[in-house]
Amino acid sequence: MNGFKNEIKEIIRYNGLLHNLIIRDIKVRYKRSMLGFFWVMLHPLLIMLILNVMFSKVFNIGKGSYSVYILSGIIIWNFFSQGTTNAMDSFRTNNELIRKVYFPRAVLPISVITSSLIHFVFSLVPLFIIIVLTNTPISSKIIILPITIVPVLLFALGISLIISVLNVYFHDTRYIYEVLIMAWMYATPIFYPASIVSGKLEIIIRLNPFYYFLDSFRTALYLDNPLFITHLIFGFLFAVFAFIFGLLIYAKNKDKIVYYL
Amino acid sequence: MGMPVIDLKNISVKYRLAKDKPKTLQEYIIRRIKFKKIEYNDFWALKGISLEFTKGKATGIIGKNGAGKSTLLKVIAGVLKPVSGKISINGKIAPLIELNAGFDRELTGIENIFLNASLLGYTRKEIKRCIDKIIEFSELEEFIYSPLRSYSSGMISRLGFSIATELNPDILIIDEALAVGDEHFKRKCKERILNFKNKGATILFVSHDMDEIIEICDNVLWLEQGRIYIHDTPKIVVGEYLKHGKCQ
Repeated sequence: MNGFKNEIKEIIRYNGLLHNLIIRDIKVRYKRSMLGFFWVMLHPLLIMLILNVMFSKVFNIGKGSYSVYILSGIIIWNFFSQGTTNAMDSFRTNNELIRKVYFPRAVLPISVITSSLIHFVFSLVPLFIIIVLTNTPISSKIIILPITIVPVLLFALGISLIISVLNVYFHDTRYIYEVLIMAWMYATPIFYPASIVSGKLEIIIRLNPFYYFLDSFRTALYLDNPLFITHLIFGFLFAVFAFIFGLLIYAKNKDKIVYYL
Repeated sequence: MGMPVIDLKNISVKYRLAKDKPKTLQEYIIRRIKFKKIEYNDFWALKGISLEFTKGKATGIIGKNGAGKSTLLKVIAGVLKPVSGKISINGKIAPLIELNAGFDRELTGIENIFLNASLLGYTRKEIKRCIDKIIEFSELEEFIYSPLRSYSSGMISRLGFSIATELNPDILIIDEALAVGDEHFKRKCKERILNFKNKGATILFVSHDMDEIIEICDNVLWLEQGRIYIHDTPKIVVGEYLKHGKCQ
């Protein structure tokens, strides 16, 4: 427990590094593209457009605009899936640093997830533009929107700590995860309403943390849902569990990975 | 003798060398199913090292390849955790990071100063205070605003050296990093290292250049197969080392 506290203190002491790694990530990613950071906002919009053309006649999502429904799903999902996929490689791509300099290793995946979070915040801009354009009435619960993102962040941190450690030992991790994340996306009500899933498949939805994450986020944004608080709590439970599990895996392996890089 | 800045007690480091390491999950699972144990060879990179480093002294570390020089530096820098023994360190350590490791080719010199220095554990405030001096010493001038991919390797190592020394660490670790750069800059580096020492910093210096060792170091440590072979004044150790080399 003491080691745990020290490690967290160390991570906080290295906040300057965290800061600079995030700046590097964002600068390098858009350095040689013409539209630059603007892509953060354009990308989810284009994906939303495609899904809208393909599925708007297939699914009846009931109340509200289908565009808002898809876009809110996409940006939460992208935050998680792109963040964790990039974080998974963070120990391996920075192996030279890990082998030469001391710093709390967790700073690497944490910086990737934080930069993903920043991207997410910017992708809220097109979401609100679409909300205005489609005349979607915003929910009165909008002030607690930030709270609905906290479980997604904790969950992403936990998962990225687990898979980035695993990926050091087993290089197959990334291929397995890529397939897994694809299946996971289809098992998440991003572009279809959760209500169309029934029977045996319903259990999959109920066990998917993203069902609760997306539902809380959308409810805080524009939907009505009597189960809002319950779903928010369920989401938090999944998130805290993944986060603690991730920390344990990391703590147990942080001094070992250097031998495998 | 001053107070010990670095105190190592009975340090051992072991590398596990699997006879054949399973690299994929599939291989690993198949092995486990067949109950085949993975066989390991233990390789002791350091064995029972006890040492004290004092303030204001430069210690040279010599020995053959694989004698444990870099492993010792890694243990002191906190990169490797020894399997046994105790380390206590009083002060801030700056390892001179070899080419590329702490830099990003797409970022400018200035952006890389921030990245690299924060890797050494400095805050943005501390870095801002020193940034002008770092740029001045590196002699990079207008290049400092260009991305690192336009630098020569000598320029990058100049930048690395400037960062590590301008931030005034208590302990400076140099692992054969002086080998790069032109004569003029090398001389400048040596001057700075000696200066540094006079100001009370502790220096650990790994090199195969015996002239440099004699010039810079106050004492020399000769490692042989992970153990201390001789630890004495530069003249004695280097003399023995050269004699030994000739015999072989």
